[in-house]
Amino acid sequence: MFKETYKSMYDKIIPDKGIVSDTISSKRITKGVSKRFLPLYRRPVIVSIVLVFCLMISIPVLAASIPTVYELMYFVSPGVAQFFKPVQESCENNGIKMEVVSTYIHDNTAEIYVTIQDLTGNRVDATTDLFDSYSIHRPFSSASGCQRVGFDETTNTATFLISITELDNKNITGDKITFSVREFISDKHIYDGIPLEIDLSDISDTPDTMPPPAEYGGGRDGDYSIMKDNTPVLTPSAPVNFGIDGISITGIGYIDGLLHIQTFPGNITINDNHGYVYFKDKNGNDIMSVGSISFNDFQNGEKVRYDEFVFDIPPSQLDHYELYGYFVISGMYTTGPWQITFPLE
Amino acid sequence: MEQHLLYTDDNLEDIVVKYSNMVYRLAISHMRNKSDADDVFQEVFFRYIRKNPIFESEEHRKAWLIRVTTNCCKKIYASAWTRRVVPLDESIVFESKEENGLFYDLQKLPMKYRAIIHLFYYEDMSINEICLALNKKPSAVKMQLMRARAKLKEILGEDCHV
Repeated sequence: MFKETYKSMYDKIIPDKGIVSDTISSKRITKGVSKRFLPLYRRPVIVSIVLVFCLMISIPVLAASIPTVYELMYFVSPGVAQFFKPVQESCENNGIKMEVVSTYIHDNTAEIYVTIQDLTGNRVDATTDLFDSYSIHRPFSSASGCQRVGFDETTNTATFLISITELDNKNITGDKITFSVREFISDKHIYDGIPLEIDLSDISDTPDTMPPPAEYGGGRDGDYSIMKDNTPVLTPSAPVNFGIDGISITGIGYIDGLLHIQTFPGNITINDNHGYVYFKDKNGNDIMSVGSISFNDFQNGEKVRYDEFVFDIPPSQLDHYELYGYFVISGMYTTGPWQITFPLE
Repeated sequence: MEQHLLYTDDNLEDIVVKYSNMVYRLAISHMRNKSDADDVFQEVFFRYIRKNPIFESEEHRKAWLIRVTTNCCKKIYASAWTRRVVPLDESIVFESKEENGLFYDLQKLPMKYRAIIHLFYYEDMSINEICLALNKKPSAVKMQLMRARAKLKEILGEDCHV
């Protein structure tokens, strides 16, 4: 049964025609040239910036008169903006309006511009993230991506570009798409290079540990041989705050000679808080973990996450290093759902 | 009898077309997202073109492509961890709930087991063929396959027939 499902699943996965033909045609360019060739469509941002810069210096007056979302379309995809067809279907829930502005269907790809607007407050901002809660109900297997391309603070409107590629390489022809968003997060803050005021002078080499939970993720970052399979994790203790609301430390200790530091971002299904800790040596070099383990637990009916970072720094060397962190914290969580069905033609 | 060697220039287009699905699927099985799999796909064939390898047989060519694909995946996976602060807002969705569930569950399979599971279950390769592709001894491949299947059972549940 596993084998049949596995085979059926991977039978549907096929590389895009574009990437195959680009690879074949790149032979002439690549042979004898050491520089790596990437087709232009792999560098959309660079292309966009160059073209938009040309556009802006040549016709600024015209740009100022175009509605915001159309400016964004020309900014993000200047080469294809003219091919987008207007849809302008919208829905409203919880004081939030979602609108499908325009679509461009080509070959096995559908690109969709969507706006989210807060009609009553400031829950939509320049950091709004659809948070993997968007979905497109289509009867085919697909890979999709969502990119926030702009925010208009005068109307509290964020614009997103959704891209869906059918995995079977079949062209998307007439039909409908139902696009829905379940929730989003906003008020996101990035804390980069934050020194963590944690006492590292008395770290236990016999901390409370537990076997890795049945469901866990993570992996080895650098030296694949250092971490053992099924290495135990620290038993979470009471959270210790280090000055950033939304994330705390729930354990530090040595397990099998490796330093484990456990962070607690809480219920990531409603905040997507994440980040990592690392050390700096006296020369300012960053010392990253050799591996990490993430696992879930349930507290008061909520699914919460723990991230444990593993370092190969012996206790005798620890005073040569300082602990730092990089964290992304969201302060606002807004639920819908919002759903729009629109024709693909 | 003179040995007939296979050259990279032997109709590159046919080679890319012949092995594109194999390389891409193996890349997806490792990376679990389209963007990284696209990068791996390109890198594998660019290495193929640049290195200009010569093979004794088609079996060796296939093994070379599998080995380079797994190496590229490890390299990109390691660099992905260093930039792990950027959540990848991309998803792969299948028609059936069963396939979606399995694809999601397989994310929990450690990186080192993904190639062997894919080659064994999808490519229907024998232990000897996997040995050639991954450049490992038969005993090591057997042991790794046993551990990978045990891990799969742990992830998918004891009642899952793996």
